[in-house]
Amino acid sequence: MIELINSDARWVRWLTFAASILLGVAIWEMAGRNANPLFMAPLIGDAQTPGAAVRLIDFFGESQFRDAILSSLLLFSTGFVLALVVAVPLGIVLARLVLLRVALESYILVLYVTPMVALIPFVLSILGFGFWPKVLVVFLFAFFPMMYNTLEGARSVKPELLEVAGSFRSPEWPIWRDILIPYTLPFVLTGIRQATGRALVGMIAAEFFLSTSGLGEIIMVAARTPDMANMLAAIVFITILGVTLMRLAQACERKFSAWRGIDE
Amino acid sequence: MNTPATHAVSGIPLAHRLPRVLQSADLWVKVAAGAIILLVWQVGVGAFAPRFVAKPIQIAQAFPKVITDPAFRAAVGSTLGAVLQGLAIAMVAGVIIGVAMGRVKVFDRLLNLYVNGLYALPMVAVLPLLATWFGYESNARLATIVFAAIFSVAINARDGARSVPMEYLEVCKAYRAKRRHVWFDVTLHSSLPYLVAGFRLAAGRALVGAVIAEFFVSLEGVGMYILAHARAFQHNEAVVGVLALAAFGLFFEAGMNWVMRRFLPWARRG
Repeated sequence: MIELINSDARWVRWLTFAASILLGVAIWEMAGRNANPLFMAPLIGDAQTPGAAVRLIDFFGESQFRDAILSSLLLFSTGFVLALVVAVPLGIVLARLVLLRVALESYILVLYVTPMVALIPFVLSILGFGFWPKVLVVFLFAFFPMMYNTLEGARSVKPELLEVAGSFRSPEWPIWRDILIPYTLPFVLTGIRQATGRALVGMIAAEFFLSTSGLGEIIMVAARTPDMANMLAAIVFITILGVTLMRLAQACERKFSAWRGIDE
Repeated sequence: MNTPATHAVSGIPLAHRLPRVLQSADLWVKVAAGAIILLVWQVGVGAFAPRFVAKPIQIAQAFPKVITDPAFRAAVGSTLGAVLQGLAIAMVAGVIIGVAMGRVKVFDRLLNLYVNGLYALPMVAVLPLLATWFGYESNARLATIVFAAIFSVAINARDGARSVPMEYLEVCKAYRAKRRHVWFDVTLHSSLPYLVAGFRLAAGRALVGAVIAEFFVSLEGVGMYILAHARAFQHNEAVVGVLALAAFGLFFEAGMNWVMRRFLPWARRG
């Protein structure tokens, strides 16, 4: 029996996976039906009290929720892309200018370990409400993981290669194309993966603590109402969003990870 | 003294000794860069930003006042206490879950979906849920910290337990080692580097969780200290709170590096 459960046969794996989902659904459903509706909603529910999964499907039909999801995604991608556009070229410049790298790396490390949430109150009281302060929050969350990892990449560039390129009087662009970018790219992608998770936290935090909007607003309104089915539906949606983005970033990272330490 | 060793040192070409020479120069470069950053901050904020925005000199002036303020100390104590308590819970529970997942396939297949999903879920999103469940009090903060930390511990413990070389387990089997020896002396031991990596990740997330929970639930703590002072336009005092958080992050990072070097030198760096 134990042999069978632990076997690697495909059907056993799929069966356990299905059992895992069913078990989770069953536990949620039981908890939701028996608990106080102020604290917990079922996943499926019944006609009078639709559960979280039902609400989640309804989301896509209601323009209010579609707009919320779109506004969250817009916030996320604006902040994320801005961070990427600033962090990566800056990181590669640091690979090229060793003096600048030495000068700045300690400070970047300090900012990398500082919890960026702590800066939200400052953003709020200096810049106030609106779209761009929230973008700044997402930017801050995403920027330092990218910067820190690009910096690690910059450190991994072999000085010998730059010296050889220099002694053959290579123009600047081929140095970037053939040495700097290939060496730093795998690290940049690690940074992007880390930044994805953090930027999602930044997105929700900005939507909670600055002017409420998007998915954060759905959760906040649901918490005040209280409408647990809506709240759980939004949380499930964010989880799916998070897993999808993480998987995407991981796939990119893995694709290029073979480049790391080419000649070690 | 003319030992071979000293000959060897003087025989090293300059190019190879250069890094050591550079290291002392590095420090000056860093200090100079720091000074330039502070100067730009001071002048730039003074010229373009409203008066309440924090400036380095004013922060330095506020620093001793804040550090000796009993309210600030209580806030730091409250936050750190909660973070350490939450980390301890997350560490124990996360290791148990992770090792079980790493060594028993059924657990892995049953739990993997949930552990990975909850790990990818931004913890801020569950804050209102945890606040509803645990009340608007310090339990909600503890729950947030545990939630923030436990999944990174579990995922790393799982990878660690999977990385135990088969040979070790075969030797255990061949010598009919007791079950607790297999678990504690072999499995746990050989996954230690992974546990340290997971713990490091967890600590950062726990700190973020604590601060966010304090914002949301309005609990006494460093997060609330920062929020209250930023709202009252006392940014210089609030920045000291941020510095305390950064110091805790750095202290933990340095501590973990030290543990790795001192006790687990065979493990890869980082």
